[in-house]
Amino acid sequence: MTKSNLFLAASAIALLAAGPALAEDLRIYGWSGEMPDEVLADFEGETGITVTFDTFDSNESMIAKLDAGGSGYDLVNPSQYAVQILINRGRIAELDHSKIETYDNIGPSFRNVSYDPGNRYSIPYVWGTTGLAYNKTCVDAPITSWKSLFDEKYKGRIYMLDNMLAAYIAGLQVNGFSANTSDPAEIEKATETLIAQKPLLAGYNSTNFADLVSSGEACIVESWSSSVLQAIKDNPDVVYVLPEEGGTMWIDGYSVLTDAPNPDAAYKFLSYILRPEVAAKTTELSQTATVVTASRALLPADLANNSAVFPDEKTIANADFILDLGDAMKFYQDGWTRVKAAQ
Amino acid sequence: MRRALRERIETGAMLAPSVVLLTLFVLVPLCVVAAFSFALRDPYGAVLPGFTLDNYRDLFQSVYLLVFANSFKLAATTTLLCLLVGYPVAYFIAFKAGRAAPALLLLLLIPFWINFLIRISAWVVLLGRGGLINQGAMALGLLDTPVGMLGTYGATLVGMVYAFLPITVFPIYAALTPIDRRLVEAGADLGAGPAETFLRITLPLSLPGVLAAALFVFVPSMGVFAIPVLLGGGKEIILGNLIVQLFLEFRNIPLGAAVSILLLAFSGVGILLYMRALGRVEAMK
Amino acid sequence: MSATGTARRGPGWITRTFVHGISGWLTLLTFIFMLAPIVVLIAFAFNSGRSTVVWTGFSLDWFAKVWSNRHIARALNVSLVVAIASAAIATAIGALAAIAITRRQFPGRDVLGAALAAPLVLPEIVLGVALLVFMSYAGVSLGYRTMIVGHVLVSVPFATLIVRAAASSLDPQLEHAAADLGANEWQTFRMVTLPQLMPALFTSFILAATLSFDNLVMSTFTSGVGTTTLPLRIYSMLKLGITPEINALGTLLVLANVTILFLVMGRYLPLMLKTNRR
Repeated sequence: MTKSNLFLAASAIALLAAGPALAEDLRIYGWSGEMPDEVLADFEGETGITVTFDTFDSNESMIAKLDAGGSGYDLVNPSQYAVQILINRGRIAELDHSKIETYDNIGPSFRNVSYDPGNRYSIPYVWGTTGLAYNKTCVDAPITSWKSLFDEKYKGRIYMLDNMLAAYIAGLQVNGFSANTSDPAEIEKATETLIAQKPLLAGYNSTNFADLVSSGEACIVESWSSSVLQAIKDNPDVVYVLPEEGGTMWIDGYSVLTDAPNPDAAYKFLSYILRPEVAAKTTELSQTATVVTASRALLPADLANNSAVFPDEKTIANADFILDLGDAMKFYQDGWTRVKAAQ
Repeated sequence: MRRALRERIETGAMLAPSVVLLTLFVLVPLCVVAAFSFALRDPYGAVLPGFTLDNYRDLFQSVYLLVFANSFKLAATTTLLCLLVGYPVAYFIAFKAGRAAPALLLLLLIPFWINFLIRISAWVVLLGRGGLINQGAMALGLLDTPVGMLGTYGATLVGMVYAFLPITVFPIYAALTPIDRRLVEAGADLGAGPAETFLRITLPLSLPGVLAAALFVFVPSMGVFAIPVLLGGGKEIILGNLIVQLFLEFRNIPLGAAVSILLLAFSGVGILLYMRALGRVEAMK
Repeated sequence: MSATGTARRGPGWITRTFVHGISGWLTLLTFIFMLAPIVVLIAFAFNSGRSTVVWTGFSLDWFAKVWSNRHIARALNVSLVVAIASAAIATAIGALAAIAITRRQFPGRDVLGAALAAPLVLPEIVLGVALLVFMSYAGVSLGYRTMIVGHVLVSVPFATLIVRAAASSLDPQLEHAAADLGANEWQTFRMVTLPQLMPALFTSFILAATLSFDNLVMSTFTSGVGTTTLPLRIYSMLKLGITPEINALGTLLVLANVTILFLVMGRYLPLMLKTNRR
């Protein structure tokens, strides 16, 4: 208590010394739960900037919202393929790395991501994987492969993510293809696989699948790592695995909007969250890994060694990023429409 | 003459707010949607200026016809179920509940003050394999093994009726309350049986409410998307999902706009039928 | 709840046991159907675990969490402001139009009647996207104003049709009687018509406020900086899973609703409803 009061007093003095304090605002449009309130409050305390943090429920609705322009936000928090779309739509600005003092804290493997080489438009921040989750009580042996999602044994107890790109990860990788293929023949094969799978499914669900697998309603679900962490904490029978075929990685980063009212505050925020101690706090409170490699050493051992949060290097190397494939998207879209219309 | 003028000004003043609202925020945006439905797009979802009929041509694929058929079936079933359940409830609240009427109406709305997703989670708890209904039936010896109810059409219908029932009850209730009970009693005094009194007096007088309820349920049901996914497993593609998918996931705004215009035309016919029926009912008096 | 209403003359008992009896049982079953999930929801607000589906034990932690969550407090505030404002506006606009349509002759009456139902037939997402495009083209910044407009559009068909249904089933003889007794038009409206329409106005306001409070799609496209509503906040929690915190909040809201119901409306409304009963 006293510590934080001292800190507040110190920052107040610092602010006074810096001259008349201007009320500064920073408006962020981001994922809920990935940026802890404590981190935002600390940032406000240190800089005197007031943060408004609005949240969205999917990349798709966020893009639709920003697409018209004039949203009034400074920073946005897109996943990798959404970064590509926002760049193409001219919604996010090229970054000035010299204004991000802590840029060097970003781990080397996140410096040159395929969706945004050289991090020109986005600073990656938290990351996780797309794999599968299962309930131990309804399977005989540990599950390690996408193949189980296509196994007759679990008929009526399987859920797939209700998201085209996510469903095709399993559909493509189970056939031995890359999750990012642009080859129409490979996409067609995956489409047939997904259509053949449909009678086995209880449904498509990207909403409450963690509850479904935790309650035993579902045996196996395709899943985002972050979504099942809570279920795993509550119920030791729930297991998350990145399948041997690879699975995929996702990154939610930050980008400055082209029409940001206060880009300076946005840069201050980026510099702040890339500090190791801030990143460690983020991981601890939100249970998601950040790109700040040095922060892992600051975490409690059980979290730092949690393989659902930090998969090993080999697994990461094996995983693909889901990207926006431009023209090839229409093969996916046609295929997915057929999958959804199949009986 | 002056009276006529005054009445005209009054009518104008009463209509002005709705006309402004509709023109500015429905008609103009609708024109935008209509224009989009003839436009082109790039792979990243930008709407490009231009004129094409391809978006409408695409709609005649069997996939989209299936989508329309699925949605119609779901909406019609939901409407029928809601009216069958909702009418007696509205009747009871209007004529039998007495002082409890407002409380009952509000009670009906209480579910809506808890977020939609959480409400649906409750049905997952109730309908699930480990859920209360299965456990109860097994405890009573009615079942040996739990029945998978989630991911079925029945579960979708439960969710739909649950979501739309209050919207059914309200307009029927609003139409029933002003009915003069003395008319009904007069009918009974004249020797008409309860069924006859109901069919010849109460039901015709409450028809505007029934029609409104049918419209309130049928039309939004045509565009629903979350319930069939969360309870029914989302395996049957319907209009709501298709439109969300086209607008958000595929970023194919022109095709999404074309589907919307088609839905609008379809529902427009429904509304006109409703208006004609309502006009006839209003004219009966 | 089992009140048999006011005593009636004649062979009313047949009606009571036959028609009313069935309606009574069906109403009871319907309320069980509508409220059973709410009992489940409230139970899970006391869950010690983080799931809204799997029960792990009793705790009050989630109530404490709601209390200290600044985002939730803020979102609740936004939701209530938008719900009340949009319901009031929608009811006023809808009622004026409904009365004009049922009572006055004017060109384009049928067209207006149909047009007022139009927002209902447009999928919300289409209207939402179209509004967003239009607002940003017109240079209107997103926020309370745009969201209230959006919610008014969603609820105005309900308001119009509810008031219209009520207005058209009014007994015109009552108004004629008032006029015969020397009341002028305004007096007739205020003393005879309006009291009879009160239940419909009340119904429409409550329904509109409720629809707004639970709205997600329209809010997605019309909310602006700092105006995240409760459903928007809750949906955005999906990626990391929804916790019983939301159940606890819902429990508190239900509690508040029930309290208001008994304190304010329990006293005032029955009187109001009675005036038009006979």
